[in-house]
Amino acid sequence: MIKFEGVAKTYPNGVQALKGVDLSIEQGEFVCIIGLSGAGKSTLLRSINQMHQITGGKLTVDGVDVSTLKGKDLRRFRRNIGMVFQSFNLVKRTTVIKNVLAARVADMPLWKSLLGLYAKQDKIIALEALDQVGILEKAYSRADQLSGGQQQRVALARTVAQQPKIILADEPVASLDPVTSQQVMNDFVKINKALNITVIANMHHVDIALKYANRIIGVKEGKIVFDGPSLQVTNNILKEIYGRELSDDELMGA
Amino acid sequence: MDKIKKFFLPKPIVLSNGKVVQPAMSPMVYVIPILLVLFFYSTSLTGFKIDTLITRGSRFFDILVKMFPPNFGYFTKVWTPMVVTLVMSIVGTLAGALFSIPAAYLSSENMVKSPVIKFIVRSIMSILRTIPLLVLVILFLNMFGAGAFTGMVSLGVFTFTIMTKMFYELIETCDMGPFEAIESSGASRVKAFWTGIMPQLWGQYISILLYNFEMNIRNAAILGYVGAGGIGIESLSRHIRKRLL
Amino acid sequence: MSTKITVIEQLKKEPKNLQLKALLFFGLIGIGFLAVNYINYNGFTEFGLTVMWNISRSIFTPNTALLFGQGKNGVLFLITETAAIAFLGTIIGTIVSIPIAFLSSRNIVPGWMANIGVAFITVVRTFPAVVYGLMFIRVTGPGAFTGVLTLAVASIGMISKLFIEVIEDLDPGIIEALDAAGCNAIQKVQYGIVPQLMGNFASIAIYRFEINVKYATILGMVGAGGIGAPLIFAITAYRWADTGALLIGLIIFVLAVEYGSAKIRKKLATGE
Repeated sequence: MIKFEGVAKTYPNGVQALKGVDLSIEQGEFVCIIGLSGAGKSTLLRSINQMHQITGGKLTVDGVDVSTLKGKDLRRFRRNIGMVFQSFNLVKRTTVIKNVLAARVADMPLWKSLLGLYAKQDKIIALEALDQVGILEKAYSRADQLSGGQQQRVALARTVAQQPKIILADEPVASLDPVTSQQVMNDFVKINKALNITVIANMHHVDIALKYANRIIGVKEGKIVFDGPSLQVTNNILKEIYGRELSDDELMGA
Repeated sequence: MDKIKKFFLPKPIVLSNGKVVQPAMSPMVYVIPILLVLFFYSTSLTGFKIDTLITRGSRFFDILVKMFPPNFGYFTKVWTPMVVTLVMSIVGTLAGALFSIPAAYLSSENMVKSPVIKFIVRSIMSILRTIPLLVLVILFLNMFGAGAFTGMVSLGVFTFTIMTKMFYELIETCDMGPFEAIESSGASRVKAFWTGIMPQLWGQYISILLYNFEMNIRNAAILGYVGAGGIGIESLSRHIRKRLL
Repeated sequence: MSTKITVIEQLKKEPKNLQLKALLFFGLIGIGFLAVNYINYNGFTEFGLTVMWNISRSIFTPNTALLFGQGKNGVLFLITETAAIAFLGTIIGTIVSIPIAFLSSRNIVPGWMANIGVAFITVVRTFPAVVYGLMFIRVTGPGAFTGVLTLAVASIGMISKLFIEVIEDLDPGIIEALDAAGCNAIQKVQYGIVPQLMGNFASIAIYRFEINVKYATILGMVGAGGIGAPLIFAITAYRWADTGALLIGLIIFVLAVEYGSAKIRKKLATGE
């Protein structure tokens, strides 16, 4: 369970990205965070795995106060949290399987990771992760030969191969076309259901968020303005989150 | 002053709608005079005389002319030093290249968070880099005596300093995305560097390694003069040392 | 995707890269074998450590009279002379390289001519700078002039090779556009070719200047002027205070050149 209690984040340049966020997310939920650019979505997401340090309040994951974690403890904690990025963040010049295996280096002794000696068990985990996102046959292709959607699936497989309890997705489909976006989102749902992994995703496209998430969190100016099941999201609520009426084409991400 | 400026500025262009556009001053206006001044100052300082070159220029080929016909009997004597030069350069380059990876990592803005470590490593590397190869050779001659081992160590250290700089510049311009992703999975920064950054750079790493290797083969010829092994033609070396010392 | 493959099948298909691994393995063994046979370790002399310690210490205890000296033996003069040698060598090397590069570029001259040019450049590149130094000493006698000529010739190889790359990368579209606009040959060169080349040529020349500065310190050895020879004499004669003064001058000078070169080349590449 992830629990925010009055979490605040002020950047060194004085920008207040989060202003007292209270939130709790249970294991196995599928949550989408929506809001304008700069509302604090990304900061909210990245504070969970301490890619951004919080500056106030308390944030616990399964009872562990994350802001106190440092060095080795922090790294051990991060192994339970996968992350998917808008720009995929793959090593494009190397093979798909090596990209997925990168998720295993955290658990390996340093000398083995330097020599690239992956155990057979790790290779099987990586291939199974690729199988789950449906691109097993691409395992030995170079990452840059794949389409955008396929690359994002490799990134998702990398996260799955990490065997996390939580997946954080920062705008996972923002640079994909509508059809591919749907396919990638289906993969997220599949993994959420099959492995009971909590998925928390920042979303640019409101309709995709409403379609796939069980729960929507609306963020505005560093505060949570809506938190509830996606079925309860009405036009009025969207108007409050975005500060204005959304036109149809803004809704139509897909 | 204004008059001078006006003189150098290109003529304003008047557009058909009456607007006046003032083209920017070309940097050539000051670059060329500066280069000319430096050129003439340098020629007088270095005693550059074009007529010497014309009257005595043919002597440049003296050595070349004397090289023909080559004495192939001597070839057997050159064979071993040539192999030594090659081996010395290969091992020296490889060793320097190997150590340059951790040094480059420690010098990179985007890899090392601590400004103190980065500053210390960079300062040491900068000073090492300015030391001419010959000074390194003399230093190692005093440690390991005359021979190919000294040559190998000198080339190794020299390659190490150059490759570290070339390589950290590459690290600083590469895509940080994979690094971020792997670090977020709980891997240490060193592991994230090795699995997220290095695969992007292996090609360029090999290419700067070959560049250094080529340079070292030529440098190895210099080493011979001071008795650090290889094809540096012993007698010539003694001759030059006598003239200089 | 007619037949679905399983994880185990895919695991077995993993490329083994056996040839590459074997090449690496035997290559390293071979180099190790050669190294053991041809490079002998003659033991370590403690005296070397003393020398190293003295050199390191000398930087902090320099001969200030030499360091700030005004005469022909002062560090300032030696640095200026080194800079002048490197500068002139680079300028002459660059000027000579321009026609050579144009006459060796495949998009300017026919292929056979370019081949001859490239072969010539390769031959020039083969000889180490010191060999040119020895050849020029017969022309001009020991001194800075020899250094200038040596660096000029030694630069030609690299500069013209890089120039060719730039010329062969020329965007033919611009020439075509100027052709279409009815420009004559001179106008085409002036507006179509020169602007494309100038920045890159300057950048290459400055980079070579940086290298020449470092070479100029080495060439002192063959009597070609500059700060190299006095530095080596100082070390071999164990005059540590002098060594320190010369090293300080050299370190500041080389770092300043590196810094300036990087700044200018960045400006040429990005416009800022």
